[in-house]
Amino acid sequence: MLNYIWAGLIISSFLFAIGYDIRDISGDKYRNGQPLLLELAFPEGYDSAARRVAVEIRIAPDQYASFYRTDQAPAPSYPGYLLQTKEGTQLRFAAGSKLPEPLATIGKVSSSRDGELQGLLTGFTPPGGTAGVVFEPVRFVKLNAIASAALDFAKTGAEIALGLVGVLSLFLGLLKIAEDSGIVFALVKLVRPILRPLFPEVPADHPALGMIALNLTATLFGLGNAATPFGIKAMEELQKLNKSEDTATNSMVMLMAINTAGIQLVPPVLLLALMGTQVNTLIFPILITSVLGMIVAIVAARLLGRLPGYRGSDPNRKA
Amino acid sequence: METVRDAISLLSYFVLPLILVGFPLYGLFKRVPVYESFVEGAKEGFQVAVRIIPYLVAILFAIAMFRASGAMEALTQVLNPVLGLIGFPAELLPMAIIRSLSGSGSAALVVDMINQYGQDSIFVKMASVMYGSSETTFYVIAVYFGAVGIRKTRHAVPAGLIADAAAMLIAVWTVRLLFHG
Repeated sequence: MLNYIWAGLIISSFLFAIGYDIRDISGDKYRNGQPLLLELAFPEGYDSAARRVAVEIRIAPDQYASFYRTDQAPAPSYPGYLLQTKEGTQLRFAAGSKLPEPLATIGKVSSSRDGELQGLLTGFTPPGGTAGVVFEPVRFVKLNAIASAALDFAKTGAEIALGLVGVLSLFLGLLKIAEDSGIVFALVKLVRPILRPLFPEVPADHPALGMIALNLTATLFGLGNAATPFGIKAMEELQKLNKSEDTATNSMVMLMAINTAGIQLVPPVLLLALMGTQVNTLIFPILITSVLGMIVAIVAARLLGRLPGYRGSDPNRKA
Repeated sequence: METVRDAISLLSYFVLPLILVGFPLYGLFKRVPVYESFVEGAKEGFQVAVRIIPYLVAILFAIAMFRASGAMEALTQVLNPVLGLIGFPAELLPMAIIRSLSGSGSAALVVDMINQYGQDSIFVKMASVMYGSSETTFYVIAVYFGAVGIRKTRHAVPAGLIADAAAMLIAVWTVRLLFHG
């Protein structure tokens, strides 16, 4: 299933990207090669000998709307400068200008390393007045976007994982003490009546149940940092009971299902930050929803495990 | 509700210190060489983190591509008429889709919706409940199964997605019921 979803995500993102790009090209969304008319004013005067002259750029809103066939409007004026280059006079919008679409996209795609939207001036006669600007042609925006998103998030993935090293070490260390001192075993006895029915494959005295209990407790109190190491440790204990190296057992799927429901008594810190005291009114619906969601998760994990296809792939099935 | 919340959040202040202090203290009491035990266990931290990397990269980059491609908007348009039939508001569809895919993405959506509809809006309440009542399924799958090297996840993904879909619907209904939206 994961194979198909994974491949589906990649293939569909390619198809959608190329579809949107072809639509943009056939609709000439970016007006490649055509000059956008704008008004130039020189607050510090125009000096034809200078390589770089500050300029104030004004774009008439109706002109902009009809040129790009958009309902977005530009700001009254933008700071920028003229730059004399080999190709001719270049107009550059100052970095950080709040540009309307599609100028913002054109800027992002073609601005190279400076982060400034830039284009060549045409029909410019000093000192100032109306001129046209031709931006670099913009094509296949989405195709570029999916490629750079893939690269960015590959990096993010490694960063997230490596960022866990410290917290993982801390809690795995504490868990080792808990194991050696018998806390886990005591916990197993305590939670056995509740957890045993959910994890029938796990022997009654196995430390996996204790780890699962710790994982669920941490989740319940909104301690995501601790919940993840506990969950990983629980998975490791479950893996010890697994006859296969790379195939999930029913217990592992059950643990995963309970975790995706993520029951919390405390609302997530982020919601608290965003909603302030409003969160108080939301605690109750959040709790109802996650409890019901968890019940669905447990039932789904249990029932799906009984389907012939999944039963056949169960590493612990009795031959 | 207020006092219950205060009590719980007060309690949650103590859970972490209890683990941090209680475990070594109890170990000492039981004559466990606590420092040696800790270091022995902590050694694993790096390997586990490194073991997760390929799984996390695989999941994250595919989802990032999907989001960057604009497929979400198209999917929203296709699913809208269907979901309208069961009373699922169109405004929440992006949130419902992205919740199982990306934690940071769904957080960003909550922020967007607050800016767009205001904190008091029923849509923001629904989105917040969706955010708060569910975990990022694909992240959990990558991390938990990745840590033990499980590649064949069997029914984990369908079970997680069924639960997510149910939670999204329940979120809409409970908020409607409680706030008469």
